[in-house]
Amino acid sequence: MTDTHCPYCALQCAMTLTPSVEEGVSVAPRQFPTNRGGLCQKGWTSAAVLRAPDRITTPLVRSAQGVLEEATWEEALAYVAARVRSLQAEHGPDSIGVFGGGGLTNEKAYQLGKFTRTVLRTKHIDYNGRFCMSSAAAAGNRAFGIDRGMPFPVSDVDATGAVLLLGSNVADTMPPFVQHLAGVRERGGLIVVDPRRSATAALTDEAGLHLQPLPGTDQVLLLGLLHLVVAQGLADEEYLAARVHGWDEVIRSAALWWPGRVATTTGVPEASLRRAVEVLAAAAPSRGGRGAMILTGRGAEQHTGGTDTVTAAINLALALGLPGRAASGYGCLTGQGNGQGGREHGQKADQLPGYRLIEDPAARAHVAGVWGVSPESLPGKGVPAVELLGKLGGEVKALFVHGANVLVSAPDATAVRRRLESLDLLVVCDFVPSETARLADVVLPVTQWAEEEGTMTSLEGRILRRRRAIDPPGQARSELAILRDLAAALGSDVHFDTEPALVFDELARASAGGVADYSGLSHALLDATERPLHWPAPAGSSGTPRLFATRFAHADGKARMVPVSPGAPADDLRAEAPVYLVTGRVLAQYQSGAQTRRVEALNDVAPAPYVELHPHLARRHAIEDGDDVAVTSARGTAVARARITGTIRPDTVFMPFHWPGDGMANAVTNDATDPVSGMPEFKVCAVSVARADLLEVTA
Amino acid sequence: MSERVVVVGAGMVGHRFVDELVRGDREERFAITLVGEEEYEPYNRILLSEVLAGRADLRALTLPLPAAERVDFRRGVSAVGIDRDAGEVLLGDGSRTPYERLVLATGARAFVPPLDGLESEPRHVHVLRTLDDCRNVAARAINAKHAVVLGGGLLGLEAACGLRRRGVPVTVIDLDSHLMATQLDGGPARVLAGRLRALGVDVLTGVSVAEAISAYDELVAVRLIDGRVLAADLMLVSCGVRANTALAAGAGLTVDRGIVVDDALTTADSRIHAIGDCAQPPSGMTGLLAPGWAQASQLAATLLGREPLEPTEAAERPEPITLKAAGVDLVTMGVRPSRAAADDRVLTVSDPDAGRHVDLVLREGALVGVTVLGFPEVSPALTLAYDRQTPVPLDPLSLLVTGGGGAVEESPSPMRMPGTTTVCRCNGVTKKQIVSAWEDGARNVDAVAANTRATTGCGGCREVVCGLVDWLNASDPAESVSTAVTERNTPVETTT
Ligand SMILES: Cc1cc2nc3c(=O)[nH]c(=O)nc-3n(C[C@H](O)[C@H](O)[C@H](O)COP(=O)(O)OP(=O)(O)OC[C@H]3O[C@@H](n4cnc5c(N)ncnc54)[C@H](O)[C@@H]3O)c2cc1C
Ligand code: SF4
Repeated sequence: MTDTHCPYCALQCAMTLTPSVEEGVSVAPRQFPTNRGGLCQKGWTSAAVLRAPDRITTPLVRSAQGVLEEATWEEALAYVAARVRSLQAEHGPDSIGVFGGGGLTNEKAYQLGKFTRTVLRTKHIDYNGRFCMSSAAAAGNRAFGIDRGMPFPVSDVDATGAVLLLGSNVADTMPPFVQHLAGVRERGGLIVVDPRRSATAALTDEAGLHLQPLPGTDQVLLLGLLHLVVAQGLADEEYLAARVHGWDEVIRSAALWWPGRVATTTGVPEASLRRAVEVLAAAAPSRGGRGAMILTGRGAEQHTGGTDTVTAAINLALALGLPGRAASGYGCLTGQGNGQGGREHGQKADQLPGYRLIEDPAARAHVAGVWGVSPESLPGKGVPAVELLGKLGGEVKALFVHGANVLVSAPDATAVRRRLESLDLLVVCDFVPSETARLADVVLPVTQWAEEEGTMTSLEGRILRRRRAIDPPGQARSELAILRDLAAALGSDVHFDTEPALVFDELARASAGGVADYSGLSHALLDATERPLHWPAPAGSSGTPRLFATRFAHADGKARMVPVSPGAPADDLRAEAPVYLVTGRVLAQYQSGAQTRRVEALNDVAPAPYVELHPHLARRHAIEDGDDVAVTSARGTAVARARITGTIRPDTVFMPFHWPGDGMANAVTNDATDPVSGMPEFKVCAVSVARADLLEVTA
Repeated sequence: MSERVVVVGAGMVGHRFVDELVRGDREERFAITLVGEEEYEPYNRILLSEVLAGRADLRALTLPLPAAERVDFRRGVSAVGIDRDAGEVLLGDGSRTPYERLVLATGARAFVPPLDGLESEPRHVHVLRTLDDCRNVAARAINAKHAVVLGGGLLGLEAACGLRRRGVPVTVIDLDSHLMATQLDGGPARVLAGRLRALGVDVLTGVSVAEAISAYDELVAVRLIDGRVLAADLMLVSCGVRANTALAAGAGLTVDRGIVVDDALTTADSRIHAIGDCAQPPSGMTGLLAPGWAQASQLAATLLGREPLEPTEAAERPEPITLKAAGVDLVTMGVRPSRAAADDRVLTVSDPDAGRHVDLVLREGALVGVTVLGFPEVSPALTLAYDRQTPVPLDPLSLLVTGGGGAVEESPSPMRMPGTTTVCRCNGVTKKQIVSAWEDGARNVDAVAANTRATTGCGGCREVVCGLVDWLNASDPAESVSTAVTERNTPVETTT
């Protein structure tokens, strides 16, 4: 029996694995403060992917005939090394790109960053967390000087009096989390902001409040709430004076967002805005409440103004005096399993391990020291994911993909496919033939969660152990081994450990003194204690479950409020595209679906993409439930079954993004990005809808 | 050398213009001077009625200050003349400031009709245009026993509601046959009057004030044109505005009701522009904020050398007008029924007893006019549908259903729930699976959970699973096996 955590989302539910014949392991939930013995269906069925019939168990290399054929590790790695050498000789180090993932363990993420900077010596690395956490991360850094998704343990949610949840459908994406909302629901303090009455929004049905704004107007909504806080004198002036810079400018930034204007911009009735402020203010500790929290998810963040929207959420939290107070604060609900750790150890274009900036000379010197290379040899900062994908086939000739299925998960997928196809070399490390892997020149089979050791950092910034229960099948290998071997094949003398515990020790040293300091941790310590260990955990400390009680992470200890002013979506409504498309996840699938679409039980529940639309819109286009509906934007069309429901706004349609093919939502989405974070605008673009058969007739 | 731009008037439109110019001017081509006569930092004027109503703190009105390093802001200084030959603006403090471009954003002032009794300027007669006005009215409201609001337009009604909210008995007087005659037809206006009366605001239409009667320089009553006399120790005159054109007229620029400008917002002097409430472009004057803001953006874009955005359909669509008052929810926009074209489709729902009224005007399937009164749950959605021209439902009246028609589904009783109903969403467990688990011997929730995984996600379905198990257990007693089993199985079978 092996204690570990779920392979999927950032809640990292605890589970116990027992080796079994059919599926490799059998999964049982385990008591743990985040999941309290719960698992969602994805977690329960996660073992099925271990024995997926099409699991890749040998390296594959594309033959002269253009087919992926089995190869030995030596052949595959030698081929990759030779191609990389010749491309770099001709086009320079930056002609190689690396695309990482938020599902990789800390050890792999760290090693991938190190390999990129010391062996490939390219500046071109980024990861799919850019599609996930980057806006919240940028806003958190700007405001607090640190980016830890939740600066308090998940269990603090139980105690709070009010939660304003923006753009997160936790009831579908991480169901066990809903247990923590029981108290706040009972107290009538749950406020959910979502253009759909999602499963999470429906949690407010009995008591609580669902605000259903027009997509892309979350920032206006937040400014409207802030305006009411100021207008009604509800701000925590004492706290603001003592702990925050910038309050005066932020007050002014809300002066033009009076309730009537906000109501007609967002579609949320004025009375609901006033009620929301009442609930939040009453729960604020400064007014004697039990605590209040503002939590954001991708729905609010995946916009060209995403960083500013999160900033507006943080401004509201600071105005009410929440961050650093008991059962209070701002938090971002991380999506991917290691979305938090994945961004701390060097997969981000501008960062080195420990959340250090790659352009900071002191950071370069420290990390280069740990790596045994000269600081000058490290490349500078690269470009964020969407821009990196935009360079494929141009400046970037070869791409390594680790733990990502960009063909399905990146915006404007049709363009992404074209760019991937134009590469000289595409190397994909995966355990199943994902859509991206099928385009690759070389596919390298890697281990899965139950087959490996390592650590993950969950949405609450707690470092968790992932443990090995069974051996990997066939020739599958850990990325740690692959990176070491590739380094050797490329003639590098930089040292790469393959033992996860040793890699972690090195990571800990590299992170020492950084913002995300892991230097007090080791696998042995994590194994020996039940105590929750949250970073920062410098040597000698016992971790930091709660941040900000006395100071924020900026040098002077104060938080920064930054005024924001909302803009329109990059691809806005017009006569030919009069409704908005929003995209998201469903309960029984995960991300690009490369894993979950291989689980029968999940496909039974969520077999295919669909278009959710309101009866008014459906009737106008003569669409009946189950009809094929074409959703078309300036970039492309996706066709999927209609699901007619009154729970969505009549001016909005929704599509889950887990599927490739005709129903691929990301063929329609926009790749415009946030100027601060590089986050693409997945969550809103203008589309037209039509019954698919009628579209063909007229076309 | 940078081009000197002088903006006269730091109201909402002058402020917006400066903001946009600074934002767009990355190369710092312009040296900007902003001259504002009011002592205060620029503020959101339209919220003054909210302040008067005690619904907003003054702090919530202060606008962002123009960046000090980019804008020379002369606060509390008025422009008193323009020397067009020298290219200089003369300021009240005796100084001159040179310009290559001059933007007049002098706004408007309240219009006070020449009533008898006002020549002596009695105390307690006020207008509401500036922060100082607002302070004065609010101060008087503390002791006022009866206030008269002269003018039943948008602003007059907001102010009347605000005064009422401060506990002052109020009478609104308007010469037109109904309230808000500029925007509303008689039908909704009558419902509105009823709504106001219910809030304690008295409404007299078709009549006006002939004389202000005062004693010892203090207002004590008003005499109406029909001879009635109403005691009044506060009169708020809200009879519309007049553009501030004196500065332009003094400089020899063409002035009509406002400063006359062309489509490019330029006066006859190509170096001088006018925007906002003071300007009279060919499209006309509205006295509203949004068109002023659009002019500010347009002019900033022109100076920045950008193509000013094509006047979109949206810009040509008349602005929604919202009455900002607690207890009255009124929004009106676009074409009203009395002005509808012959082919337009007009839908009206009137419910005067409940203080509700809706007019919708559709032209070729598109929403071109909306008046909503007393439906606060749907008025934002209707405004959006008009403003963003999102698809109108085949039956436009369904726009009036809250939540867009999505009725909350009742969770059916365990017995009647079809077998295919998903009971546990997190694990995709149906009622049928729970029934089979029970048949396999799982007689309590924990056993069912172990067998099916139901309840092991968010735990939200625990109650329903409990109910199912209880129902199954209750239907089990040996003696009634036969009926219980059929009862139990019927719904399962019929749906599978
Ligand atoms: C209580 C109230 C509620 C309102 N509600 C609404 C509403 O709900 N919706 C809507 O659309 N509109 C509303 N309005 C109208 C709106 O406020 C105006 O349309 C808007 O303020 C016009 O902006 P402006 O900058 O052109 O003029 P103003 O805001 O009037 O600003 C002009 C400024 O220029 C200054 N100035 C004038 N002459 C000189 C000079 N010679 N030298 C220096 N400075 C000078 C003035 O002191 C003033 O500060 C309302 C108005 C009021 C008073
Ligand atoms: S997917 Fe997330 S919520 Fe579901 S079991 Fe795994 S960690 Fe828990």
